[in-house]
Amino acid sequence: MLRAAQLAVDQINARGGVRGRLLKLRPVDDSGSENTALRVAEQLYADPAVVAVVGHLSSDPSKAALRVYGAGRTPLVMVSPSASNPDLAGINPYFFRICPSDVQHGPRLARFAWQTLAARRAGIIYVNNDYGRGVRRAFDAEFARLGGVVVEADPYVPETRSLEPYLSRMRQAGGIDVLLLAAERPGAELALREMQALRLGWPVIGGDALTGIEADGALVEGVHVSSAYLPDRPDEGNVAFVADYARAYPGQRPDHRGAGAYDAVRLLARAITEAGGGRQAIRDYLAKVGRGKAPFEGVTGTVAFDTNGDVPGKQVVIGVIRGGRLVAEAER
Amino acid sequence: MRRMFDTIRSRIVAGLIPLAIGLVGTALLAAVTLRQMRHAVGDELAGLRASSEIGSGLVAMVFEEIRAAEQYLAAPSAGARRLFQAAGDDAFQYERRLEALGIAGEDRIAVGRLKQLNAAIQVDYAIAHALKDLGRDGEALAQSAAVRPHAAEVTRLVRDLATRQAVKAAQVADRLAAASREREKELWLLLGGIAVVGLFLARWAMLSIHGPLSRLVTAAERFGLADAMQHMADRLRRIVGEVVRESDRIAGSAGDLSATSEQLAASSSEVSTAMVEISGSADHQRSALGTMGAGLEELRLAATEMAEAADRTAQLGEEIRTVADRHRGDVAAAGKALLDVREVVQTTSRQIGELAQLSTAIDDFVDLIKRISSQTNLLALNAAIEAARAGEHGRGFAVVAEEVRQLADESARAAEEVTRTTTLIREHMEEVTATMTAGQAKVRGIESIAEGAARGLAEIVAAVEQVEHAALRVRVAAQANRQTAERLKQQVEQVAGRATAHASSAEQVTAATQQQGASTQEMAAAAAHMLEAAEKLRGLVQGLRV
Repeated sequence: MLRAAQLAVDQINARGGVRGRLLKLRPVDDSGSENTALRVAEQLYADPAVVAVVGHLSSDPSKAALRVYGAGRTPLVMVSPSASNPDLAGINPYFFRICPSDVQHGPRLARFAWQTLAARRAGIIYVNNDYGRGVRRAFDAEFARLGGVVVEADPYVPETRSLEPYLSRMRQAGGIDVLLLAAERPGAELALREMQALRLGWPVIGGDALTGIEADGALVEGVHVSSAYLPDRPDEGNVAFVADYARAYPGQRPDHRGAGAYDAVRLLARAITEAGGGRQAIRDYLAKVGRGKAPFEGVTGTVAFDTNGDVPGKQVVIGVIRGGRLVAEAER
Repeated sequence: MRRMFDTIRSRIVAGLIPLAIGLVGTALLAAVTLRQMRHAVGDELAGLRASSEIGSGLVAMVFEEIRAAEQYLAAPSAGARRLFQAAGDDAFQYERRLEALGIAGEDRIAVGRLKQLNAAIQVDYAIAHALKDLGRDGEALAQSAAVRPHAAEVTRLVRDLATRQAVKAAQVADRLAAASREREKELWLLLGGIAVVGLFLARWAMLSIHGPLSRLVTAAERFGLADAMQHMADRLRRIVGEVVRESDRIAGSAGDLSATSEQLAASSSEVSTAMVEISGSADHQRSALGTMGAGLEELRLAATEMAEAADRTAQLGEEIRTVADRHRGDVAAAGKALLDVREVVQTTSRQIGELAQLSTAIDDFVDLIKRISSQTNLLALNAAIEAARAGEHGRGFAVVAEEVRQLADESARAAEEVTRTTTLIREHMEEVTATMTAGQAKVRGIESIAEGAARGLAEIVAAVEQVEHAALRVRVAAQANRQTAERLKQQVEQVAGRATAHASSAEQVTAATQQQGASTQEMAAAAAHMLEAAEKLRGLVQGLRV
C-alpha cells in the first residue's frame, strides 16, 4: 500500500506536483491495532501540513481513527483503499473508501459457486468475527435464493487448532460441491492443509481477506478468491500502472490494497487541483465525485461515491490462484 | 388630590411590585431548576437502564447458548442446534449494542475481551458438536470442557462492568445531589434577600402613606369633607388591609415555595439513593434469571445422570476385570500344560532319533554277519572240494563241511530276516518322527494362540482400567458440574433477589419522580397564586385611581 502510494506521489511530482507544489507522503504505522490507530490519528490531526489521509488499511483501526478525524474544528478526510467492513458506511462524513464493502463479496461468491462451479451443496468455514459472520450471512442468503443448500456453516477463532472435525462431518454428510472459506489467511491455510491430509478435493472459494495466500504454492493452487481488484484488469490505465509498479519494484505485482492506495492518492491530487488544499474543501469535493463532479477513473475501476462514502457501482471480481499468482479466469 | 393619590399609588407600586417580581422570579427559577434536574435524572436513568438491560441480556444469551450447546451434546437434535445458533446470534447483537453505547477506556477493553470470549465459546461448542456428530464422544467431552474457564471469565467481566456502572451511577447521583444542594442554597439566599428588601419597602411605603393620609384627613375635616374623607380613608384602610393580606398570601406562597424546594431536595436525594441501588437491574432481568435458574437445574440433573451412568460404567468395568482376571489364570495354566506336552514330545522325538541311529548300527552288524556267512559258505565249499579230493578219508570232513555250509546259509537267511525287520522298524520310526514333527508344530500353534489369548486378556484388563479411570474422571467432572450448577443456581437466586430489590428501587425512583412532578405542580400553583395576587394588587391600585 505504501509502495503504490509512493509511486503515485512520485509520478505526480515528476509532472510538477499539484498547484505548483510537490506532494509529500507522511507514512505512519497503525500496526492494525485500534489503540495505535488512535494515537497516530491524533498526530496526523494535529499537524496542519496534513490535508488528507490515505488509509487506514483495516476496518477496526479505521473505525477508531475516524473518531479523531471527524471531530474538532478542523476535521480531516480519510480515503481508505481497503477497509471493507459494512459498518463503516456513512459512519461519519469524513470517511470515503475505494473498495466495495464485504456485503458485496458474499453474493458475488454465491453466484460464482452456483453458475461457474455448478455447485448445489456448499459448506462454509468462517472466522467468528464481524467480517466472517457478515460474509457468511450474505453468501447464505444469495446461495439459498439461487436454490442451493448450505450443508453446514462452522465458526473458528484464530486460536482454533484443528478444523478436521468440521471437514470430517461434511464428508460424513455426503460431501459438498464447494467450500467457502470466509476466513483470514492463517485459518484458510489450516483448512487447506487438513483437507489435503484427509484427501478431500472439494473446490475452495474465499473472500478478499485471503489476500497474500497465493504465495503458499501447491497448497492453494486452483483456489478461487474474490477481490476488489486484479492486476490483469485489461483497462489501459491499469496496464500502465502494473508496468510502472513492476519497474519501480522489480518482480512485484500490486494487490488490491496497493491499487486502492494508488487511486486514493491520485483522487486526492485531483481534489486539491480543483478545490484547493484546505481540509474541508477536499472533503466537500470528494463528496461530489460521481454526484455533480465527474466520476474518477482509477486503476481499480470507476470511483463514484454515494452519500455514505461508499462505491456501490464497483464490482467484485473472482480470481483463481495459478502458479503463485491471483489471475483472472476466463469466464466459462 | 390626584397628585397625592398618584404619589400613594406610586409608592405602593414601588413597594410591592418588586417584591412580587422577585417572588415570581424565584418561583420560575425553582421550576426551571426542577425541570432541568428531572431531565438530568431521566437521561441518566435511561442510560443506566439501557446498559444494564444490554449487559444482563448478554449474560442471559451466553448462558442460553451454553445451555443449548450442552443439550445438543447430551442429545443431539436439530432444535437444540437451532437454539444454540440463535442464542449466539443474539449475543452478538447485544455485543454490538453494547459497543454502540459509546463506552470508553476500561469498559471498551472489557467489551472487546467479551466479544473474543463469546466467539471462542461458540467455536469450542461448534467443534464439540461436530465431534459428537462423528461419534467421537470422548473428544467432544474434552472440547466442551475447554468452555468452562471462558464462561467463568465472561461472568467475571460482566460483573466487573456492572460494578463500574454502579460506581458511575453513584458518581452521577452525587453530582445531582450536589447540584440540587447548590440550587437550594441559591433559592434560600434569593428568598432571604427578597424578604429583607420587602420588609424595608413595606415599612417605607407605610410610612410614606401615613403622613399624606393624616394630612388629607385634617384638610378634609377643615373643608367639611370629613364624611367623604372618612369613607375614602376607610376604603384606603381596607385596601391597605387587603394589600397586607395579599402580602401575607404572597409570603405564604413563598413559604410553599420553600417547602417545595425542600421537597425537591428530599426527592433528589431519594433519586440518588435509588440510583445507587439500581446499578444494573431491570424488571425483566428477574424473568431472564428465572429461566437461567431453570436451565441450570436441568444442567444439574444432567450432571447427576452423567454421574450415575459413570458409576454404572465403573461397576461394569469391575465385573469385566474380575472375569478377565479369572480367565487369564485359566489361560496361563493351559499354556503351562502345553509347555509340558511340548517337552514330552520333544524328548520322545529325540529318543526316536537315537533309536534310528541305533538301527543303522544293527544294519552294519547284519552286513558283517552276511559277509561272515558268505565267507563261511565259501570256506565250506572249499572244504567239501578238499574232502572229495581226500577220498574216503575225507568223507567225515565232507559231512562237517556240508553242515557248516548249511549253517552259513541259515545265518545269511537270518541276516536277511533282520534286515527286513529293521527296514520295517525304520519305516515305522520315520512315520512316527513325521507325526511327532507335525505334533510339535501343532503344539507351537496352540502355544501362540494361548499367548494371544493371554495378551488379549491383559489388554482387556488394561482397557477396563482405562474405562474405570475415565468413569472416575467423568464422575468427578459430573460432581464438579453439579456443584457448579448448584452454586450458580444459588448465585442466580441471589441475583434474582437483588433484581427484585432493584425493581422496587426503580419503583421508588418512579414514585420520587412523580412526587417531583406533583411538587412542580404545587409550585406552579403557587406561582399562579402569586400572579393572581399581583393581578388583584393591580386591580386595587386601579380602584385607588378613582
